[in-house]
Amino acid sequence: MELIPLLMFAVVCVALMAGYPVAFTLGGVALIFALIGMATGTFDGNDLTFIPNRLFGIVGNTTLIAVPLFVFMGVMLEKSKVSEHLLTSMARLMGPLPGGLGIAIIIVGALLAASTGIVGATVVTMGLLALPSMLKLGYKPELASGLICATGTLGQIIPPSIALVLLGDVLSSSYQQAQLKMGLWSTTTVSVGDLFVGALIPGLVLVALYIGYMLAHAMIRPEHAPAVDRAALGEEQGPLLPQVITGLLPPLALIFVVLGSILTGTATPTEAAGVGAFGAMLLAIIKRQLSIATLQEVMRATVRVTGMVFMILIGASIFSLVFRGFGGDDAVHQLFEHIPGGVFGATLMVMALIFLLGFILDFIEITFVVVPIVAPVLLAMGVDPIWLGVMIAVNLQTSFLTPPFGFALFYLRGVAPEQVATMQIYRGVIPFILIQLLMLGVLALWPALATWLPAQVYGQ
Amino acid sequence: MDIAHRILHRLDRFSLAFGHGVAWLALALVLLTSLIVLLRYAFGIGSIALQEAQLYVHASLFMLGIAYTLRCDEHVRVDIFYRRFSHSGRAWVDLLGTLLLLLPLCVLILVTCFDYVIVSWQRQEGSADAGGLPFVYVLKTLLLIMPVLLTVQALTEALRALLKLRYPQEPDADKPAGEGSAWN
Repeated sequence: MELIPLLMFAVVCVALMAGYPVAFTLGGVALIFALIGMATGTFDGNDLTFIPNRLFGIVGNTTLIAVPLFVFMGVMLEKSKVSEHLLTSMARLMGPLPGGLGIAIIIVGALLAASTGIVGATVVTMGLLALPSMLKLGYKPELASGLICATGTLGQIIPPSIALVLLGDVLSSSYQQAQLKMGLWSTTTVSVGDLFVGALIPGLVLVALYIGYMLAHAMIRPEHAPAVDRAALGEEQGPLLPQVITGLLPPLALIFVVLGSILTGTATPTEAAGVGAFGAMLLAIIKRQLSIATLQEVMRATVRVTGMVFMILIGASIFSLVFRGFGGDDAVHQLFEHIPGGVFGATLMVMALIFLLGFILDFIEITFVVVPIVAPVLLAMGVDPIWLGVMIAVNLQTSFLTPPFGFALFYLRGVAPEQVATMQIYRGVIPFILIQLLMLGVLALWPALATWLPAQVYGQ
Repeated sequence: MDIAHRILHRLDRFSLAFGHGVAWLALALVLLTSLIVLLRYAFGIGSIALQEAQLYVHASLFMLGIAYTLRCDEHVRVDIFYRRFSHSGRAWVDLLGTLLLLLPLCVLILVTCFDYVIVSWQRQEGSADAGGLPFVYVLKTLLLIMPVLLTVQALTEALRALLKLRYPQEPDADKPAGEGSAWN
C-alpha cells in the first residue's frame, strides 16, 4: 500500500524527463494513477470531488496577487532598459576599483534580483550585457561566468522575490496544518512578509560574502580581475555624475520604496508589488521608453509567466490530492520517523532531497509539490517556519548553481559567447558553491540569522 | 494550404488574439492595485468591493491566460533531454503528452467542477463579506472556462504536432513572432 505514493513520485519524475510541460505532467500522471487506483480499489474516487474546492482556493488566493504584479514590475524594468542603464552606470562607477566591474555586477545583480526575483531573467540579462565586456576588459572567463551565475541566483533569496511569495504561501498553510496535528488550536501564523524579513539578513550576508570573495580574488590575482579605466567604459555616454544620477537613483528609489514598505510592515506584499509595478511604468514613461508596443509586450509577458506559475500550482494541487488519497502523507511521516538523528536528521534529508530535485525542477515545482509534503512533518517536529523557508531558498539557490544540471548554468550557457567553454563556467561557480554551503552551515548553526529580524519587526 | 493548415492557422489567430486581449488585465490589475493603495494610505478608505474586484481581475488574468501560455510554449518543461530531441522526437512528445496527459486532465477538471459551478449559479452565490461583490458564481465559472479554452488549445497543439510529423521538412513555426520568451 505505502509503495504506491512512492511509485507515483518516481513515475512523475521519470515522466517529466520526456520534456512535456511540468504542470500537465503532474496533473495527468496523477489522474492516470487515480484511475488505476479506482479500478483496483486502492483509491477512493470520492477524493476527486475535492478538486473544485482546491482549484477555487487557488483562484481565490489573495496572497498570490503579488505574483503577476512583481512579474509586471520586473519585465517592465527589463524592457524599458532601466536594468541596462543600471548596469552600465554601476560599471562606470565601480570600474576603477580592483575587481570593480565584478563588484558592480554583484550589486546590480542583487538589485535586479530584488526587483524581478527570477533566476533566468537576471542571468540572461547580465550574461548578454556584462559578460562580453568583462571578457574584453581582461576578466578571467571562469571568474566572470561564475560570478554572473551566482549573482543571478540571488533572486531566490533577496526579497521581494517571487520565490519567497510562493514559498511563504505554501509554508503558511503547512504551518497551520502542523499545529493542528500537534493539537494546538490557537495557531500562530507565518506570512509572506515574515519570510521577506527573515530572508533579508541572509541575503545581504551572501552579497557581502560574494563581494568579499571578489575583492580578495582581485587583490591576490589582479590579472584575473583588472581594474578598468573609466574611459574604457563608455566615455561616449557623457559625464559620469549625471549618468549615475539618472541611471542609478530612480531604480534604487523604487526598490527601496517597495522593500521598505514591506519590511516596515506598512504595506502588504501585494500592495508593495502594485506600487512597484506602477513605479516601474512611471520610470519607463519618464525615460521615454514606454510605447504602446512595449506596454503590450510587458503585459503579454506578464500573462504568460503568471499563467505558467498558476498552471503548475493547479497541476501540483491535483497531484498532491491524489498523493494524499493513496496515503502518501502517512508514508512520508513514517519515513521520517525511521530517519536517525531526529529533527536534525530529518531536516538534513529534506535538504538533500530538495538539493537533488533542484537539478530537474524549478523552484516553482519544488515549492508546490515537495514543500507541502515534507514541510508539515518538519514543522510538527518543531522546526521554525521562517528558518525552514530561508534554508530551502538558499539550498535551491545552491542547487541551481551546481554542475552539471544547475539551471543558472544552462541559462548562461545559452547566452555566453562561444569562446567561453562549458568547463570554464563549471569551474567558475565552484567558489560560489562553497560560499553557498558555508551560508547553509552558518544558518544551521545560527538560526537567529533568519529569525531575529522578523521577531524585531513584528515584535513577537 | 490544405484544410488542416487552414484550421491550425485559424485556431492560432484566435488564441493569440484572445491572449492579447487578456493581457490588458495586467495593466488593469496594476492600476486597480495602485488605486487601492492610494485610497487606503492617502484617504483612509478601504473598500471590500475594490479588493474583490482586484481578486477577480487577477484570477481572470491567469485562468484565461493559461491556454495562451500553451500557445506560446511557455509552460515550463524539464528540457534536459527534450532540447536534444530531433524535430520529430519533440513532436511525438507533444502529441503523446497532449493526448495522454493534458486532454484527460482538462476533462477531469471539467467533470469535477461542473456541478460545483452550476450550484453556485443556481444560488446566485455572492461574497461572504458584507460590502463584497455579489458575483462569486461568475468567479467560479472560471473553473469551467479555463479547461474549455485549454482543451481547444490542446487540440490545436495536437494538430500542430501531427502536421510536424506529417510534413517534417516544413520550417519550424513554433513561436509566433514577437511572442518570444518573457525575458529576452
